[in-house]
Formats: sequence, structure tokens, C-alpha cells
Amino acid sequence: MASQIGALAPRESGQETLARARARAALIPDLLVDASRVANNVFSGWHGRRKRGIGENFWQFRHYVNGEALSTIDWRRSARDDQLYIRDREWQAAHTIWLWVDESPSMLFQSDSAHVSKQSRALVLAFAMSELLARSGERIGWLGLTKPIVARNAAEKLASFLLRSAPQTRIPDFTSLNSFADIILFGDFLDPVEYTLDQITRMARQGVRGHLVQIIDPAEENFPYGGRVEFNDPESGMRITTGSAGDISREYKNLFAARIQTLREKTIKLGWTHTIHRTDSLASRALIALHTNLSGDANYSSAAMKGAV
Amino acid sequence: MFGLSFLGIPLGFAFPWALAALALLPVIWLLLRLTPPRPTSEPFPPTRILARLISREETPARSPWWLTLLRLMMATLVIFAMAMPVWNPKNANLSGEGPLLLVIDNGWASGMDWEDHLASANTIIDEAEAAGRQIIAISTASDARQKVEISSPDALKIKLASWSNQPVQPDYKLSMRKIAEANQKFAPTGVIFLSDGLAHKNMREMSQEMQSGTSRKILFLPDTSNTIVINSVENLPRSMVGELVRANPKGPKVLNVTALDLQGISVTRQQVTFADGDKSAEFHFEIPVELRNDIVRVNIDGVQNAGAVKLLDESNRRRLVGLISGEKHDNAQPLLSPLYYISRALEPFSDIRRSSNANVAVAIPELITSGVSALVLADIGLLPKQASSKLHQWVKNGGMLIRFSGPRLAAAPNNDLLPVLIRRGDRNLGGALSWEKPKPVAEFEINSPFFGLEPPREVFVSRQVLAMQEGDLGKKTWARLTDGTPLVTASKIGQGWTVLFHVSSDASWSNLPISGTFVEMLRRIVNQSRSSLTVSDNQDIQSLPPMRLLNGRGQLTAPAVNTKPLKLSNGIVPAVSLGNPPGIYGTQDGFRAHNLFNADAELKLLEENFLGTDATIAKYAGKQPLTLRPWFLLALGLLLIFDCTAVMWMAGQLSFLRQKSAANKMAGTAAILFGAFVICTTGFINNHARAQTQPPASSSRQVDALSKDFNFSPSLRTRLAYVITGVGVVDETSEAGLFGLTKFLTERTAIEPGEPIGIDISRDEMAFYPIIYWPIHASAGIPDDQTMARIDAYMKQGGSILFDTRDQVSGFSGGTSSSPEALLLQEILGNLDIPPLEPVPDDHVLTKSFFILSQFPGRYSGGELWVEQLPDEKQLENRPVRVGDGVSSILITSNDLAGAWAIDSQSRPIYPVVPPNPIQREIAFRVGVNLIMYAMTGNYKSDQVHIPALLERLGQ
Repeated sequence: MASQIGALAPRESGQETLARARARAALIPDLLVDASRVANNVFSGWHGRRKRGIGENFWQFRHYVNGEALSTIDWRRSARDDQLYIRDREWQAAHTIWLWVDESPSMLFQSDSAHVSKQSRALVLAFAMSELLARSGERIGWLGLTKPIVARNAAEKLASFLLRSAPQTRIPDFTSLNSFADIILFGDFLDPVEYTLDQITRMARQGVRGHLVQIIDPAEENFPYGGRVEFNDPESGMRITTGSAGDISREYKNLFAARIQTLREKTIKLGWTHTIHRTDSLASRALIALHTNLSGDANYSSAAMKGAV
Repeated sequence: MFGLSFLGIPLGFAFPWALAALALLPVIWLLLRLTPPRPTSEPFPPTRILARLISREETPARSPWWLTLLRLMMATLVIFAMAMPVWNPKNANLSGEGPLLLVIDNGWASGMDWEDHLASANTIIDEAEAAGRQIIAISTASDARQKVEISSPDALKIKLASWSNQPVQPDYKLSMRKIAEANQKFAPTGVIFLSDGLAHKNMREMSQEMQSGTSRKILFLPDTSNTIVINSVENLPRSMVGELVRANPKGPKVLNVTALDLQGISVTRQQVTFADGDKSAEFHFEIPVELRNDIVRVNIDGVQNAGAVKLLDESNRRRLVGLISGEKHDNAQPLLSPLYYISRALEPFSDIRRSSNANVAVAIPELITSGVSALVLADIGLLPKQASSKLHQWVKNGGMLIRFSGPRLAAAPNNDLLPVLIRRGDRNLGGALSWEKPKPVAEFEINSPFFGLEPPREVFVSRQVLAMQEGDLGKKTWARLTDGTPLVTASKIGQGWTVLFHVSSDASWSNLPISGTFVEMLRRIVNQSRSSLTVSDNQDIQSLPPMRLLNGRGQLTAPAVNTKPLKLSNGIVPAVSLGNPPGIYGTQDGFRAHNLFNADAELKLLEENFLGTDATIAKYAGKQPLTLRPWFLLALGLLLIFDCTAVMWMAGQLSFLRQKSAANKMAGTAAILFGAFVICTTGFINNHARAQTQPPASSSRQVDALSKDFNFSPSLRTRLAYVITGVGVVDETSEAGLFGLTKFLTERTAIEPGEPIGIDISRDEMAFYPIIYWPIHASAGIPDDQTMARIDAYMKQGGSILFDTRDQVSGFSGGTSSSPEALLLQEILGNLDIPPLEPVPDDHVLTKSFFILSQFPGRYSGGELWVEQLPDEKQLENRPVRVGDGVSSILITSNDLAGAWAIDSQSRPIYPVVPPNPIQREIAFRVGVNLIMYAMTGNYKSDQVHIPALLERLGQ
């Protein structure tokens, strides 16, 4: 029997991946979501926003201006000279971050050169992110599953929610997303580029900043097939037989790369970020990339990417 | 057997009905199309992307066209193999009754395709045996002992194998008698004639005899395009000319004719072209006579018959010339000897014999007996009677008698050994008693053998003998003076010639004997003479043993046992026969060539109605039938292996070979295919490959070793070099000094040398450095002989060495011979081949090669700089520089130049100068610049003396 290159892996549950996600997340420093775009937010988070506001930590002393509440005067400081001082605190606010993982059948694909299936890797990344974000006190929601929650054990909660729900194969309704939220979409985005772009453009119009994490299998990129092969699409059931798969390898690779390129350019144009992650590389690599994007260094990196494009 | 004769393909099948299965091929084709290999099923999420790539979905129920074609080919091969294919099937048809008469031409003309004759004969025997008919075989070039009998097929085959084609003409007269005998004895009903395609003597009679009483007649005609012979070869004065004759004048033909010497080495080769319709063609070997004389055999390349080889003997070779003079041999004054100029003129192209006996009466018979082909008599007037008659006989037999005049001949009476009647006494031109001037030689006439030679303008005849006016004097004259008087006359006597030079053989009568034309004239005369074998007068019949004989294919072989000696009676050579086949007869010293054709070849084609118009014309089967079945099966096997591999590859079964990359996979597939191929062909290519791969491997290794060992870096930039003495301080100073000089040069001049380099004179290549600085240190010792040889070679090839004894201060009296360094230098120089030296003179180019210098200080200032002494020439006024070619290969100083140049990395001088004069260091650097400039530009600066003149010419 011919040994296949790729196979569909069994679907992994949230709980299984959670432990692995925690291990990955433990390697990543605390995440500080860039709040430059965030307006005043009533929810307090655990992270200083590097500006004065509601919080616990000392930020600065400043002169008292008429009209301000007297209670805000720091008398101990004011007693040292003739001026009145107000003790400002650092504003500590939480940020809402939505997660979503594509769980369509195509995500179950795993070739012999990949470590895990795409779905497994996507879940690991999602949970690791939620672990990291929870550590930073952000509000984390799973699109189409839960409302944003603030909890130290948010990842665990999400995993248990996931266990009880049916797999999401399409991006669910996102009209409830409010602006200034971030959304991280994990998936292979093998749907027609137009569909994906339409979805994210609409999200962007609502003021959401998004991060696409495109998870691909090495076999999808390298096309290591040869000879007479029948390809079948696990999602649509489409079958294509080719006499010599090696002959079309180059054309396929060009086409695949062009797709990714298109998606990437359009995404960056929206101000979003786009991260490619291959299942034969380490999960932490994608985490670090995401970390960079969320921390606001994305401006630099996206500029660099544009330069590269 | 069924023959596929259309399209001229000699292909036949033993079971042609098996080919009917070819009709099944379309069915097989349909079946094959329905059973494609099963594809591997792969889940592949981006299949939608693939779908854009492959516009139409391939029908899974169809295998690729090339696989179908491959399998159809296999099916065809199987069918063909079952039909038992045969290449070159036999196609004679010998059904019938009664014995068959088989006549085979085995004369010279069958040499080219004798194998085909045999093969056809064997085929006929087989067919006859199959048809149950008996065979009487007769060969046309056999002697009378040939038996006419019916033999069993096996015995006949053995007999055939023992026959070979003979290098003689077939004897149809004898054959006719044998055929008549066969007709009488066995009454054959059929006749098969394996002819050589040529019409020979008595063929009509033989044809009649062959046709009598036979009903079935088959005439085999060969391809006569290669039936070509060398008809004649003549060694003419300027070239060797030969004629080729061919039987079949149809179509153009280009051949090569090769001349070989006795050792079988090719002397020359020429292309001969037959135009369409030409029966004959000529070739010319235009090579010097010395080379032509070496030719013993002329071959037509690629034509194998006895007529295509022409053997040459001494009649075409170097002549033996005898010299007899009327004067005594005078060795003391050779230039005055009458034979001196003749022998000098004859030596280049002939062997010269002189008689040991001064007596002409003895000398002439002696020389004639020794076999000379030409005899020169210089100023012999009266011949002894006995000698005269012998000489006359010899000339009649083809001898060439060359006579020179002189006082004796002029005084002697006329005799029949002179070509013309001469007047008594001689004519003196331009002498004291004559008013005529010496006469030049006129142009040579067209019927003279000298025609074409440049008449010697520088030759003047002042004295000659005069011929009597006769009617045929003009015809006899070969050369004349401008006033018409003959200079050389000749007449034919029998087969030979007598030639008279009307001048003497020394330079007293004319300067002809010392001109170059004389040599050419003698050469032409001698070439006209025929060399003859040593034939004794008293022996009419001469017997020559066979030495090397030609076989039927035109190869020289050792004589067979039944070959008879060649008997010459009165010099007449018998015709070529089976007893005397063509070849070389005689001994190594003197041999006679016996040729099949002596300018009498006349090749005519045999007519196709030779056996009557109802005869079947057949062609010789060129090749044996070849059973093709095993080859078809082999091809089938190979295709099968290929098919299996292809199917496995298409089905992905070869995935065990698959590496991570596709390239490796392809390589793996290729490896399997190649492996299969190698298994099949190992036997063929093994030895071949082994023989071929060895030499390149070793040579590339050599190149590698060379480039690894050899350091090319010194050759990439000009660098200053110093000799490593092994003494640390000295070497450091040298390095620092040359470093300083390098910096100075780079700053001030156009020379920008690389880093200075220290060299080990015993090992390193010195050729890259224009000048080498060699500080002498007493403890360094003298280099060994081999090193000295290298230094010597370096200096001789244009390098300069600057020796520095650095002892100006320490040495007494200004650093001369007393210091240990100076002594060592003297010892070193003692081993070198060097010219005399001198201190640099004021006008030496060193004083001006860049800076103008009057002294050459280094760290010390007192010492002289010694250079090679210039040739002492007269000084021109206002010439600032003495001219001398080349660069002094040796320069010696004692001033420690490197010490003055030495700077450290901060460009600070390391050593103080002595005396402490800051200008001195600058001067020392300038000395260095001048030295380097001198070494690199040579005497270029000394040419600048012309600058004033040049400027003046430019108007400045």
C-alpha cells in the first residue's frame, strides 16, 4: 500500500491542548497589549498604561490646579514646600482581546513532515495566548463562544467552553465586536482569498484591530508529491487526479505563495498583522511573533514587511 | 522462407503467419487504455488551489499515452519474436533435378569480396543439399591438376575453405576444358557462375561451354565499383606518375594512393579522383627523388586486390653512377680534379662508384660489372678497343654514357661513342687570340630534358669543342649557347644514351660545373638512365627466388611452397602465373618487382547476358543470415523493466527512495533506472570504462598537487625581496628597511610594491622579483652548489642581486677585502659566473634613473657601489649617460642600505645614520629609488639623452 504523505489527524480537544499551551506560554514574558489606541476604559486591568489614570501605583506628583478635588492633594508632599501637589496614579486598564480558531476539517490535516495537525497547533497557540493575556489581566473572549472574561484561569475556562460546543468551521457573527478590541484569528485561510478578505475588512470597519495567524502544513507549501496522485479536499470532497504531480509542483508553489502574499498585503493595508506559522516549526516561534505584534512593535515590523513586499 | 524484400529491407520470417496477430493490436490498445495504474489517494486541503492549476480533471480511467505506446510496442515485439525474424534471409531457389555446376572466379578481381563468394557458395551448397542436388565445383584460377568430381556437401565446403582467390588472371581456357569435362561426365542441368564481374580472355568459349545442356543458369555479379588497379607507375624526373584503371566507369570516385617504403612505412599519400565516366585516373607523387627512390610499393587504400598494389624495384630507384677520369687522381689539389665537380653534383641523388684502377681498360669493365646505370667519362679521348666494345654493348643495353670534353677529347679522333662528330681542336672565346666574348647559355628547348630549368645566366663558356654540322645536330642538341653552338649533345644508341658536354668537367673551360644548374642537368640526365640488375653477360637465364609475394587480397606475404623462382631469359620477364604470382623476387640486395599489370591493364565489365538472356542475375549475399529473435526478446525484457519501473513510479511505490526533497526523489528514480541499465550493459562497457577513467584521474591529481604546492601570491604584485640570512637582527633590519623603501617608493614614485618578502634562496622561486637585497652576514655561510646554480640562473635570466656587506664602518680602509663579510662575499662570488665589476662611474644610468645622485650612501656613507663594468666606448660629447644594454645583474655595496631605510610602524627611523647627517637618510632612500628604478626600467633613462633633440624637433 502506498504510504501517504498527509493524513487527517483526530480532532484534539481543548483540555488536551491546554496543558501544552500552558507550557508554551510559560516561556513567553508577560504580554503587554499596546493600548495606544484604547480610550478610557472602565475595566481595570493589572497593567499600567504608562499614563495617569485610575490605578494603584504611583505615577507622578503634579501641581494642584484650581477646580480639582481637594481630596486628591497629597499633603505629605505639599508640606515640604509652598506648593500644593497632587499624587497621580498610573492608569491601569484591561483590554479586550478576542480569539478564534478555525476548526474546519482542513485544519485536521497533518503531513508526515509536520509535528502536529494544524488544528492542534492552532488550539495550542490560542490557549497559550489566552494564558499570556490572562496573566496580564486582559479581557479575553472567544468569538462565537463566550463574552470577554477576566480571570486568571481564562484559558481553562475557554477550554471547557470549547469542549461543550460544536467545532466552528466558519467565522461566526462578529457584529457584537466593539471598536478598540483586538482579535486574533487562527486558521489556514484556505477559503477563497476574497471571502477571507471580505470578512476581515468588515471587522476592520468596526474598528477592530486584528491579527491573522495563518497555520500551514509544510506539505501544503512544499508540495512533495510525485507520480500519479488523487488529491481530495477534506472540506468540499473535491477530487483531482493528476498523472504526474511532480510536474505541477512548481506552478502550485508559485500559486500558493501568491495567495499568501495577497492575503498578507491586504491584511497589512488594513493595519492588521499577518503571521505565517508552519506546523513543522515550534509553537513558541509563533507566540513570540504574536507577542511582538500585540506589544505594539508591529508598527516597526509591519513597516519592515511592507518594505520587504 | 518468407522474405520482406520491399523497401530493400533484407528481413524475413520463419513463421510469417504469426504476424497475423498484429491485427490484434487495436484490441490490445483498447484494453490497455482501460486499465490505468491506481493513483495514490492523498487528502490535500489546498485542492481548490490545485483545481485552478489543472483545468480539466483527468479521467482516471485512462493511462498516459506513452505508457500505452510502450505496452503496444511490447506486444508488437512479442508478435515479431514469435514470427522468428531473420536478417539477410537466403533467397536462392535451387529446386529441380540433376547435378549443378558451380563455377567460381577466384582470380585477382575477386580479392575484394572473396568472403562473399565463399558465403554465397556455402549458401548454394546448403540449398542444393536441401533440394537434393549434387554439385560439381570448378574454380577458374586453378592449375590443370584441378579435379572435376562430385563431392559431398561437407567435403565441398572444406574444399571451398581451402581455396583462396589467387593474385592472377583467371584462366578461362583451362576452365573451359574442365567444364567440358564436367559436361561430359555428369551432364549438369544447371550452372551457377560466381563471377568476379570482369570480362577475361576466352570468355565467349567458356560461356558457350557452360550453357551447353543446362537449363537453369544463375550468374552472380559482384559490385565492381571497387575493382580498381594500378596500371603503371613511372618515376619521371620531377615526379612519380601512375595511372589507375577501373572496371566500372559509373559514378565519381575518390581514392587515396599511398606509397610505402621497404619497411612498410608510408612515404606519401595522394588523392585520386575518378570523374563520372572515367576509366582511368592519374596520380603524381611530387616529392624529392631521394624519397621517391625509397618507394617500393604503391597501394590503393581500401581496395584489396593484387592489381591494386604496384611493386617497384631498382629500376625506379637511385642510380649508380661510375666515374672515370683521364687524369691521375690528385688528392692534394681536389679542386683541380676533373671529377671533383661532377661527384659533388651527383652525390645528392646517386651513388658514385670510382674504379680503383687507373687503367681505363680495366676500369670500364669493372664499373660495368658492378652494375652502374650511368658512366661518366671526363676528358677521355681515346678508348682502348676492348673497353670500347664493352662500353658500346653496355650502352646498347640501356646504359647512360656521359662524356665531358677536355684537351684530350678535343685531340682524339671521332668514334661511335660520341653523339656527334666533333671538330678537331677547340674553340676559344674571349681569349687573347679571339675577338668574341665568352658566351652565355641559351634557353633550354622544349624537347630537351633540361626544359624547364632556369638557364644559368651567370654561366659563361669561354672554351668548348665544336660539333660538325650534320642534319640531325639540332635534334641531338640538348643545350646550346646563345650563338647556337651546342653545349650538350646526346644520341640514343640501342636502349641507352651517349651524352656529351662540350665543355670540360672542371672550371677551366667554363664556369658551368660550379653552377647550381649543373647539378640539375646531371640529375635529369642520370634520371633518364635506367638502372639495371646485375646481369652477367655470359648468363642468359637468371633465376630469382621469391622473396615476398602478394596474396589475393593484395597483401605481401611469405612465399608459398609451390612458388617457382622467377626465370628471366635475356631480361624478359615471364607473365604472371600461379607458379609466379606477383611479388618481389630476388634477394634483399637486388630484387625485381613482378606485377600483375605492366601498363597493359584493360578492365571490361562482364555483360549480364554472359550466360544467355534467360540466366538469373543474382547478387552476392553480403552478410550471413542473422536470427533476430534473441534481440527482440532482449528489447522486450528491457521495455518490461522500464514499464515496471514507470508504473511503480507513477503509483508512488518508489516512495521508499523518497527523501525530504523532490530532487533526491528524482535521483532515486534515476538510480533505479540506471541500475537496471547497468546490469544489462555491464559486460559491454566494463573494460572500456576501466581503460578510460584512469588517465584523467591521475592527471587531474597532478594539477591539484601542482596548484597546492605552488604559491602564486608572490607573482600577483611586484614586491621587494630580501634574502633570509637566518640571523634575526639582520633579517628584521632587512624587512624593516624594505618596508621603509616600499613606503618611500609608494609616496614618491609610480612604483607601488606590495609587502616586502623574505625568501629562502635555496627553495623559493626567485623569478618574480626584479631585485633581491642580500645582506651578507659572516655567520650565514656559503650556500650550497645547487643554490649557487639557482642564483646563477636567476642572474642570467635578468634578475639583479644587491649584495650589502654592511661593513663600511667596521672594515678597515673603507670596507674592502679585510672584513669577514667581504671575505664571505668573495667566496660566494667565486662560485658565480660574473663579469668584471667597477664602482659606479659618474655617467652610469644609476646616477640618473630617478634622482640625480653623485654618491650612494646608506647608513654609512663612505663605501662604493660596485656594478658590472660597462663596455668601454668612446664618449660622445655632451652625452650625460653612457649607453649599455641590460641591467647589471650584480650590485655590491658596503653601506648598509637597509639600515638607513629601516623604519618602524610609526615611520620612525630605527637606526641612526653614520655620520649623523639627516640629509644622508634622504639620500639613502633616493639611492634605493634609483636602484629599484634601474632594476625595473633598465637603460631606459640612458635613452633620454635624445630629449634635447626631441624637444628641438617639437619647436620648444
